[in-house]
Amino acid sequence: MLEYSQETVNATFMSIVERLTFMFGEPMNKDDLDTEAMDFTLARMSFVGDMIGTLSVAVPTAITAEIAANILGLEAEDLSDKAMLDDALGEMLNVVCGHIIMDLIGKGANFKLHSPEVLPVDESMLVEMLASSDFQGFELDDSPALLGLKLES
Amino acid sequence: MAFNILIVDDSATVRAVINKALMLAGVDMNLAYQAGNGQEALTVLENEWVDLVFCDISMPVMDGEEFVAKLKELGIIDSIPVVIVSSAGSEPRLARLKANGVRDFVQKPFTPERIREVVESVMGVASNA
Repeated sequence: MLEYSQETVNATFMSIVERLTFMFGEPMNKDDLDTEAMDFTLARMSFVGDMIGTLSVAVPTAITAEIAANILGLEAEDLSDKAMLDDALGEMLNVVCGHIIMDLIGKGANFKLHSPEVLPVDESMLVEMLASSDFQGFELDDSPALLGLKLES
Repeated sequence: MAFNILIVDDSATVRAVINKALMLAGVDMNLAYQAGNGQEALTVLENEWVDLVFCDISMPVMDGEEFVAKLKELGIIDSIPVVIVSSAGSEPRLARLKANGVRDFVQKPFTPERIREVVESVMGVASNA
């Protein structure tokens, strides 16, 4: 497993999410995250170049409308189109990813981001993320979130 | 003077956010076109008069770098200003884009104020804000 600064990743994630969605986050031990009886949505994307890997973020499906609404400057109750909610979550990940790569490598980095994919999380996926050392837990405005960075080179 | 603006991004969210930022920034917009990738953007440019393009880098089918290179090949990059809007704006990439004629760069996430600043700089006019 390639090494990177988890502190840098965490700080960049929280900073960008706050600027984009006005949601405040803090790192949390995955064992302390309350994920019971929650459906989650996962956005993930790969990148290549000076750094090759995959970045993923999983949030409760229930807050995807709030995320989209805050990015778009609309009311969450006015947003119900799943495609729009997925697109907003994917875009949040896209912005986070670009910043994380440049904060880890520097502004001279050469990299290409692939389009994010957004999918529902089943129970086995959630268990795997909670157990994986690639994933870090967060609390975003009282909601659990998982951020996973897996580097291949 | 009201501008015809083309917003190029594969994310509908981003296209809506840029559109909203332009309005909040008080940019005098006549028409706002949208495209999901560089290829769609070229089709818009073939059929419509556009004064300014905001374009992402990472897009399927034809990405931002390919789109800008095409505009340069067509000899129109100097007459249709292009501003890149991206989170993937590393220095080597921005240098390549500027060498190909891109006028400015807006890093995501951005504020309406930054959008206004760029429009005023690129188009040489003050907005209504």
